[in-house]
Amino acid sequence: MEPTLDRKSRVALLVEHVESPRHKGALESADVVVPGGSPECGGSVTVYLQGDGNGGIETLTWTGQGDIISMGSTSIVVDRIVSEKLTMDEILAEDYEQVVDLIGRDIIRNRKRHATLGLSTIKAAVRQYQKKIRTTQPKTRS
Amino acid sequence: MRLRNWRSKGESVTEQEIQDKGYANPDALVSTQWVADNLDNTENYRIVESDEDVLLYDIGHVPNSVKIDWVEDLNDPLMRDYLDPEHFANLMAEKGIGPDTTVIFYGDRNNWWATYALWVFRLFGHENVKVMDGGRVKWEAEGREMTQDVPSFPRAEYPVPERDDSRIRAFKEDVDKHLDVSGPLVDVRSPGEYKGELLHMPDYPQEGALRGGHIPGAANVPWARAVREDGTFKSADELRGIYEGEAGLSDGEDVIAYCRIGERSSHTWFVLSYLLGYDNVRNYDGSWTEWGNLVRAPIER
Repeated sequence: MEPTLDRKSRVALLVEHVESPRHKGALESADVVVPGGSPECGGSVTVYLQGDGNGGIETLTWTGQGDIISMGSTSIVVDRIVSEKLTMDEILAEDYEQVVDLIGRDIIRNRKRHATLGLSTIKAAVRQYQKKIRTTQPKTRS
Repeated sequence: MRLRNWRSKGESVTEQEIQDKGYANPDALVSTQWVADNLDNTENYRIVESDEDVLLYDIGHVPNSVKIDWVEDLNDPLMRDYLDPEHFANLMAEKGIGPDTTVIFYGDRNNWWATYALWVFRLFGHENVKVMDGGRVKWEAEGREMTQDVPSFPRAEYPVPERDDSRIRAFKEDVDKHLDVSGPLVDVRSPGEYKGELLHMPDYPQEGALRGGHIPGAANVPWARAVREDGTFKSADELRGIYEGEAGLSDGEDVIAYCRIGERSSHTWFVLSYLLGYDNVRNYDGSWTEWGNLVRAPIER
């Protein structure tokens, strides 16, 4: 994916997401709650994931604090997952490089970890959810 | 007040509010008002914004300020080290900074990255350096002018300097020697990092280090304790209460400060060296990402 917007517009998009973050907030009904990042360096997020029991997402929310790149990109990624109704397997297949391209390498440069903090934590939450399902549900397949 | 050979040689700009805080080197700070009054004196002064949040400069900055990013501008792109003297001289020239230009640093997060940049400037012998007390947050809170215009200044002549890593920088070997004589160490990370509690995702190693904890004997004084809520530095008396009263440091001793990669500890280095006037403070920039990975390095929890 190539950035279609100029640098100024991409910065403005990140800032807009920081000022009006999508799907931000704790979720009481979450099946798994997974923290990621470092509050002292770059940023931290906590992902709240509720599965639909059928390989899909029922609800996905997040909380966190950090710089414009980490918070803006987390909001953008969550928004995309929710609006495109990505399944858990599709989330695990999401490419970190695509996130970097979307925001733009000219902005991210050596701060890739900040840009991928959201997606990496969401993937960790999905893996934890899948592990939890495997260990708590009786096997039905023969 | 002691005179020191590296004290700022710029004209004295000490103001009453800073003077009243009783620092050893009050000239190391300027107020937001002073900066507002000197925005156009670009021949003698260069205002430098250094942030953790690299996009803040894009969305608005102090007029006539330039950005120096610690990740992109101050590090060697390959080896874990700071930039070399040639690149430093080129960076200065690009930003219109000459060897006699007084550089005023400010930034986000209580001037954390501003003091880090200042420390790197000092490695290269650039001594005319000051910090805007209160940093970006105070400037914004006061509703002062901000712009998205990026200024351009004529390229400056900056002779390639020598980098002196001996006086204000400590390497792993220096810390070893320091431990042999039970020299004072100050760990400026959060209490959780200091105690070696886990602060990371279960699937990921601890933020760049295999082991958690701290260097034996180090006192823990989180760096941000040196600042007030409005972002300005605490008074000398308050700072002495923390660093001497609580952490047991004293002037005249050889102090080594560290954190995770040496950025937060450069803030404490600034406080101890400039505001309290300690003569021998070194920043161990290898910090926990080096120590916590070293085979057989002693660790306390």
